[in-house]
Amino acid sequence: MSENPTTETTRQDAGGRAIIEARNVVKRFGGATAVDDVSIEVAPGEIYGLVGENGAGKSTLMRVLAGILTPDHGSVVVDGRELEAGSTRAALEAGISLVHQELSLVPELTVAENIVLGTTPVQAGFIKKREMKKIASDALEEIRVQVDLDEPIVRLSVALRQFVEIARAIARKPRVLILDEPTATLTPAETDYLLDMLERLAGQGLAIIYISHRIPEIFRICNRVSVLRDGHLVDTVSISDIKPNEIVDKMVGRELKQELETSRTKVAAGDVVLQARGIKAPGVNGIDLDVRAGEIVGLGGLVGAGRTELVRAIVGADIKSAGTVTINTDGTMRRVNSYRSAISHGFAYVPEERRTDGLALTMTVSDNIALPNRSQLSRYSVLMRGKIGTFAKELADAVGLRPPEIQREAGDFSGGNQQKVVLAKWLGRKPDVIILDEPTRGVDVGAKVEIHRLVRDLAEGGTAVLVVSSDLPELLDLADVIHVVRDGRIAGTLSRDEADEKSVMSLASGESQVRGL
Amino acid sequence: MSQAQGIQLGQEQGGLVSRIRVTIARRTEGRALALLILVAIATWITEPTAFTAWEVTLGRVALIGLVALGLTAVILMGELDLSVASTLAVCGVVMASIDNLALGVVAALAVGLIIGVVNAFFVVVVGINSFIASLGMLFFLRGAAFVISNEEPVRLASRDAGIAFGKPFLGPLTPRMVIFIVAFIALQVFVTRVRAGREFYAVGGNREAAYDAGIPVRRRIFTGFMISGFVAALAGVINTLERTAADPTAGSTVLLASFAAAIIGGVLLTGGRGSIFGTLLGATSLGILQVALTLTGVQVDVQNIVIGLVLLLAVITDPNSLRTVVGSARSLFQGRSGSHPVG
Amino acid sequence: MTNEAQSVAEAVVGEPAIEKQPFNLLVWMSSRGIFVFTTVLVVVAAIFIDGFASLDNITDVFNRAAPIGIVAVGMTFVVISANYLDLSVVAQVATAAVVLIAVSNESNIPAAMALAFVIALLYGLVNGVAVGVFKANAVIVTLSTTFIGLGILRWFSGGSIYFGPQDGAIRSFGLAKIGPFPLSMIVLILMTLILSFVLTRTNFGFLVRSYGSNRDATRLAGVNTAWVVIGAFTITSIAAMIGGFVLGAFSNTAVSSMSTGFDFRALAAIIVGGTSVFGGRGSVLRTLLGVVFVSVLTNIMVLSGLGFGVQQMAIGALIVAAVSIDSLARKASGT
Repeated sequence: MSENPTTETTRQDAGGRAIIEARNVVKRFGGATAVDDVSIEVAPGEIYGLVGENGAGKSTLMRVLAGILTPDHGSVVVDGRELEAGSTRAALEAGISLVHQELSLVPELTVAENIVLGTTPVQAGFIKKREMKKIASDALEEIRVQVDLDEPIVRLSVALRQFVEIARAIARKPRVLILDEPTATLTPAETDYLLDMLERLAGQGLAIIYISHRIPEIFRICNRVSVLRDGHLVDTVSISDIKPNEIVDKMVGRELKQELETSRTKVAAGDVVLQARGIKAPGVNGIDLDVRAGEIVGLGGLVGAGRTELVRAIVGADIKSAGTVTINTDGTMRRVNSYRSAISHGFAYVPEERRTDGLALTMTVSDNIALPNRSQLSRYSVLMRGKIGTFAKELADAVGLRPPEIQREAGDFSGGNQQKVVLAKWLGRKPDVIILDEPTRGVDVGAKVEIHRLVRDLAEGGTAVLVVSSDLPELLDLADVIHVVRDGRIAGTLSRDEADEKSVMSLASGESQVRGL
Repeated sequence: MSQAQGIQLGQEQGGLVSRIRVTIARRTEGRALALLILVAIATWITEPTAFTAWEVTLGRVALIGLVALGLTAVILMGELDLSVASTLAVCGVVMASIDNLALGVVAALAVGLIIGVVNAFFVVVVGINSFIASLGMLFFLRGAAFVISNEEPVRLASRDAGIAFGKPFLGPLTPRMVIFIVAFIALQVFVTRVRAGREFYAVGGNREAAYDAGIPVRRRIFTGFMISGFVAALAGVINTLERTAADPTAGSTVLLASFAAAIIGGVLLTGGRGSIFGTLLGATSLGILQVALTLTGVQVDVQNIVIGLVLLLAVITDPNSLRTVVGSARSLFQGRSGSHPVG
Repeated sequence: MTNEAQSVAEAVVGEPAIEKQPFNLLVWMSSRGIFVFTTVLVVVAAIFIDGFASLDNITDVFNRAAPIGIVAVGMTFVVISANYLDLSVVAQVATAAVVLIAVSNESNIPAAMALAFVIALLYGLVNGVAVGVFKANAVIVTLSTTFIGLGILRWFSGGSIYFGPQDGAIRSFGLAKIGPFPLSMIVLILMTLILSFVLTRTNFGFLVRSYGSNRDATRLAGVNTAWVVIGAFTITSIAAMIGGFVLGAFSNTAVSSMSTGFDFRALAAIIVGGTSVFGGRGSVLRTLLGVVFVSVLTNIMVLSGLGFGVQQMAIGALIVAAVSIDSLARKASGT
């Protein structure tokens, strides 16, 4: 790492008036370091941006600040006093409010009840309704959102829920407000509204830490921005001293090139095998997509852009509200209208959530590999054990499972090797179309290279590959063409030659929109 | 920038009609109400005596409903207490085995609370699924009732108190009905107005959020199981008093009826949704149904069949179940042939 | 742990990534303990309990164990599919016994068996569809089908007791022995072997285990999961039917209340045998050991003069203890 965390600069900027500081915070999970020696300071009235790729450690750092996680080293200091580590209550009392990334409202309780949740005003155990509503309406007033206080959350739109969530944080009279990707589910108009609101709140002296993937938002409201990468603080700069593309550089500029041994040589793509037209589903607003035999099509974009929803709708794992999917392997177009029909027509789907959707962790590797291949491994519905053994062994070897013990439970293996098992079970079906969602998330570097090799081999063998990845170097390395998804639509398509980290990131974050500023 | 122009986020406040519509849409008792109306109309036509003899009907509602009310508290948190029926039996037997009536009642209620604590201990501390923990408890207590009673009904020492208990004492209302109404009001107030009770919805609806908001989730679960244990004990006490004896096999149909009442009432088994009022509606429909069936001369066995069917229908017509059923029913019969060539 | 954190944790663990699990008593007890416990129990009983080791007593243990055991090996499928249990076996066993004796008195045995078989399929279908298609909670579903089933049975039978003819085929089957083993015991062992084969060696059994281990992953492998659940309940129902035949034949009488307690005795045997109530893990053969354990324990209590109540208490406590060990073992091994 060439750049050092620039604590010097930070001090100068914030001076002695910082309200909250993270001092040398280290947080490990198991052997992994999610946040490594990060220090930040935020002053009252400041909007402090925090950016970084998925997995850079932003959310973990914020959870440390909010007392949800106990740091392994370092401390959180508010007004010069060290905060009790890992206590949500202490953090709340010190005036730190976190607006969670995933909504943390209770669906059947009312707006007012959710806003005061955990701090409900009571007298002898009874809820003081008038006071509760007063607190709630004050908080909503503060953010200038009108909503019926007696409405249960379940009847509100996703955007309104997000605002109620913010009202809840505001109701606690915070001095530091932390927002983790608050605009992920909002429309542009709603986002505008939210950003205006934050500027106004900062104007009243609130310190705001704002986490977002979306560069334009950072530029619009933040005074300073810190870039996190792989748990390290890369840089903290004043927003006037940096350009959008420089932030993108800092976010992605890592020394990844050497881990990708071979780049793919362009294969002459064959006929269109997978054709999706007008796909609509929750989070997907009408997408057309073609994948040719032997082609690797990448889907880039930010988390929450609708990529996972799109591929799940295509393969039929979730019900789509509109659109058609057809597959053409032998000259006839066949419409795919259920998940099982997709699988039986040569689809393979490697889901994003490997532990919950991909593997039966308490079963052996051999059994996991046999699961989708059972028809060819059984006769008269009786499993042929010997054949399963050799079949699974062969595939485990092909994907380079380590250790190559197919009779061990899948749960015993590392993330990378579990992912190899997921691949192995689909390789056994010799799929015509394979859809991979974040195939190397949480996978160590060695396994990553091997998984990339397998994906390339599949494409070279004529399989149509559709891959979703938030890992930019991976996407650039694998894909022949990249569709960048934003807000459930394809924001742009980049050929292999046009695509680089910046062009993808620009489309994904809407950075290109800021250039006019 | 554009603060003045703002953005439409909230709903418009409408007139009276739309206010009423909103209020109705917020309720979770729709199914219970539909069943109640259906049962009421059918009863009105075939056996109107069920309404003229409303004391009988109310007594039956109280019998079915009391345990269901306590159970609702637990289900709201997404937990299940299958041990209520045998709690009822054990507490009745404990009460009858003690000669002093007051002492017996206190002991029975205390046992109910302790059972709740033990159930909650296994769920919260050991971390067993509450279905299984309370199922084990169900069997254990059923045995305990036999052991304490020597496998035969125990006569209540003070029979006079029992006989007096069966008589109306507040206008036409018997003590059982009064206790039921009081329990209903107390629990209704608890889950709508008391912070701890309101937080049951948070524990059941979004447990992670409840933890994050600093709600003492474990304590709430203990409270819930203690409520259901206490209420079941109360039902046991009432039964024993009214019958002037405690039957160790009591309550075998209570389990079915109380679950049916709660589930019909719109209480979601996975927690977070439902109301005490809904359970009351559920119990009322079942009570009217039972009385009407009895009056028309239908045997107890057939009544059980009917209630069993109602519970089965209630549990499979849960809105969440229905949503998944569309997808899985389609895939059930579509199978591999579910695709066809286009054009 | 957040996804992000988990991913990082996984990324760094690297490879080769299999940790050697240190010996853990709880894990051992929940998986292998039953072999030792059963052996110890039998040995202790043989030494300390008067009358346990007599031939008559052992035959009696077998006779009582057989119907419950047959139900338990069948119900193992429901438990492994992560659907807790099938409470309605109580109604199913009694129905099969009553149908066998009552209908064969009226017409003949094959007709009785055919009718019982149709009823068993119906039970499997209703329970299976409610749980597998409607995704309803299995405990509540089978609680309601228990009441429906028992209600129908009592309605038809009027609660009366049916006696088989003293010289009929049913009677002679119930009394038949091969050496010291009653024929019912042979049926239990056959059922165990067949169902063990189905669970471990057939496509269907494989899917039941897979579904119990992770239903989403199984669905996403292209499996029609509704049929898996229906199948698991149907196997349980067929086993309950055979258990009912054996029970009816042994006593040569049938009454609607004869199978009280079958639900939890079977569950106790399954759980003590080491099949996890969390689904996915389990074995029919070990359920058989669980049956031996529960039956010997019950027999010891009977020989010691302990009543029905104490037996129920003990078995209730046994279920909670076994599940507690399973749950704590899972926490200890981190799965």
